[in-house]
Amino acid sequence: MSSVGRPGIGWWLLILPAFALLLVFYIAPIVQVLTISVTEPSLGFGNYQRILTSSAVQRVIMTTLRICLITTVLALLLGYAIAYAITLASPRARGWWVLAVLVPLWISVLVRAFAWVTLLRRQGLINNTLIEAGVITDPLPLVWNEFGIVVGMVHYMVPFAVLPMLSSMREIDPRLLAAARGLGASRGEVFRHVFLPLSLPGVIAAAVLVFIFTLGFYITPAILGGGKTLMVAEWISLQILDLIRWGLGTMMATVLVLAILVTLAVFSRVVDLRRIFGAGA
Amino acid sequence: MQSFQQDCVELAFRRFRRGEVDRRTLLAGLAALGVGSFVGGEAQAQAARKLVMVNWGGLANQGFGNFYGAPFVAANPGWTVEQDSTGPSAGRIRSMVESGRVTWDMCDSSASSSFLLGRQNLLTKIDYSIVKKEDTLPVGFALEYGAAPYSFSSVLCYDSAKFPNGGPTSWKDFYDLQKFPGTRLMRRDALATLDAAQMALGKDPAHLYPLDIDATVRKAASLRRNAVFWNSGSESEQFLRTGEAVMGMVWHTRATVLERETNGRIKFLWPQGLLQAGIMVIPRGNPGGEGAQRLLASMLHNPEPQVGLLQLLGNGPTNPRAAAMVPEELRRKNPTDPENERVQVVMDGEWWGANYQQANADYIDAITG
Repeated sequence: MSSVGRPGIGWWLLILPAFALLLVFYIAPIVQVLTISVTEPSLGFGNYQRILTSSAVQRVIMTTLRICLITTVLALLLGYAIAYAITLASPRARGWWVLAVLVPLWISVLVRAFAWVTLLRRQGLINNTLIEAGVITDPLPLVWNEFGIVVGMVHYMVPFAVLPMLSSMREIDPRLLAAARGLGASRGEVFRHVFLPLSLPGVIAAAVLVFIFTLGFYITPAILGGGKTLMVAEWISLQILDLIRWGLGTMMATVLVLAILVTLAVFSRVVDLRRIFGAGA
Repeated sequence: MQSFQQDCVELAFRRFRRGEVDRRTLLAGLAALGVGSFVGGEAQAQAARKLVMVNWGGLANQGFGNFYGAPFVAANPGWTVEQDSTGPSAGRIRSMVESGRVTWDMCDSSASSSFLLGRQNLLTKIDYSIVKKEDTLPVGFALEYGAAPYSFSSVLCYDSAKFPNGGPTSWKDFYDLQKFPGTRLMRRDALATLDAAQMALGKDPAHLYPLDIDATVRKAASLRRNAVFWNSGSESEQFLRTGEAVMGMVWHTRATVLERETNGRIKFLWPQGLLQAGIMVIPRGNPGGEGAQRLLASMLHNPEPQVGLLQLLGNGPTNPRAAAMVPEELRRKNPTDPENERVQVVMDGEWWGANYQQANADYIDAITG
C-alpha cells in the first residue's frame, strides 16, 4: 500500500458511481428494512429485549451458534490436513489436489444436500450396508437431526477452509523447515514449532470465513434437519413471510448483520482481512 | 414453507410428464388453479381493464386455459385476466399493500391469512351482493375477507405393511407409540396439526374449537423424538414412500397418489381428516376494483371447471352442485364428496385467523427445541 501513495481525487471519482449505486439501491433499502425492528409493533427496543426474555429467540441463537462452531472446528481440522497435504505435494499433484477441492465447490448446495439424504437415510446406502454386514440391526439416526446438518455443512465449508490456509501455507519458506530439520528437530517438532505457528494466520482467516458463512445457512439445515432444527436464516424467513412478525424478523436480521460485522472487526485486528477475500496472497 | 397450491402444480406437471394426463387436461387444470394466462385475442384488443391473479406456480406463463378465466371474460367483455406466479404469501401481500403500489387483484391465500391480513386492514372485504354465498358449501368457504373456489384436506396416511394386525383408525392411534411404533410425519406448521392433537386428547370432533393451544402444542411436541416434519408436499410423499415414516398427516392429494402408486400398501383415512378452504383474497386498493369480486363470483359459480380441477389434481370442488357431477371412480378422492365430507372435521378458519401467529410460533418453538 505504501508504494501506491495517497489516492488522489480522481481515484475517488472513479468509484463514486458504483458507491452511489450501492448506497441508493442496496444500503438504503436494507437500513429501511432493518429500521422496522425498532418501529414495530411499537416504537422502541421491545424486539431486542426478547433476546434477553424470550427463550425461543435465545434457543434459535444458541442452536445456530452451536452448529456453526462445531461446523467451523470440523471444517478447519479437515481443511488443515488437506491444505497441509497439498502444500507438501509435488507441483503436478498439487494441481489435481486443488481441482479436487474446487469441484465440490461448484456443485449446487441443493444437490449436495439431497445426495447426503440418499446416503444417510434409514434405508440409505450407509445404513443398508451396515445392516447387511451385520454391524447393526436397527438403522442409525444419521439424518433429520443436528448430526445430519453438521455433515452437510462441513462438506460445504471444507473448500472454504482449505483455500485461505493453503495460500498461507504456501507462503512459508520451505528452507525454514529444512533448517529446523538440519538443526536436529524431529518431523513432529518441525511441524509444532515452525510450520504450525507460521500457518496460523491462514487458520484464523479460514475460521472467520467459515464461521460467517455458516451463520447464514438456510437450505442445508432445512433439508437435512427433518424440520426439527431451526437456524436463524430460516427463522427470519418464517417470521417475515408466514407469521408476518416483521419487527421480530428484522430484529434477528439486524443481530445477524451486527454479529458478522463484529466478528470481522475483532478479527481484522488479528489477521489481514484482505487475505480472506482473496486479495493479499 | 411450500403452500398447498404450489404443491398441486408440482403434482400436475409430474403426472403430465409420466403421460398420466394429456396436455389439454394439464393446461385446463392449471388454469383452474389460477396458473396460466388468459390474455385471449379479442379480449386483448379491448384490453381496457385487466385483472391480475396471483398464484404459487413456478411455470405460470406456460399454463394456458379457460376454466376460470374464459367464462368470466366471455361474460364481461373488455376485461382480461392475467396471471402472476409470485406466490402471494401473507408477508408479500402486506409489503405490497403497505408500499401503496398494488398490482394484484386476487391472491390464492388461506383462511387464516385472510383473517390475519383482514384484521390489519390489508384486504378488501368480499362483497356478497356480487359473490353468491349459496355457490359454496356452507362449511366456511365464504368468509369476510375471502372465498374458496376449491378445498383440500389433511388426512392420516399410513403404511399398512408396517401394521399387519390393522392400522391406525384415528388421531388417538397416531399418538399411540406403544400400539403403533414407528416414526411419525407431521407438517412443520400448526394448522391442522394442532386440530388433530386436540382430537387425540379426546375432545369431541363435533365441538373441537376453540383448541387448547398449550395442551395441543405439548401433545404434538411429545412425538418430537419420534417424528420428522415436512415443509413441502413432495417431501411428505417421499418420507412415506421411502419408509422414513410409518404414518403421517399429509394433504389428501399426496395421500391419493401414494395409495394409487403403492397399489394400496399406503392407505389413508377420510375420518377425522381436516377439511380446509382454498381461500382467494383481494388486496386492499387492488387496481381492478370491483372486477375482482366479479371474477371471484364467476369462479365459485361454475361447478364444471371445479370438477375438472378435481380430475387433474384432486382439489375438492366447493360449489354445492359439483359433487353430483363427479364421476363415480373419482368420488373416493373428493374431499367434499358427501360421503367423505360427513366424516371429516371442517377446520375453523376464524379461530385460526385469530390464533395462528401465536399457535404456530409456540408449535415451532416446541418441535425445534
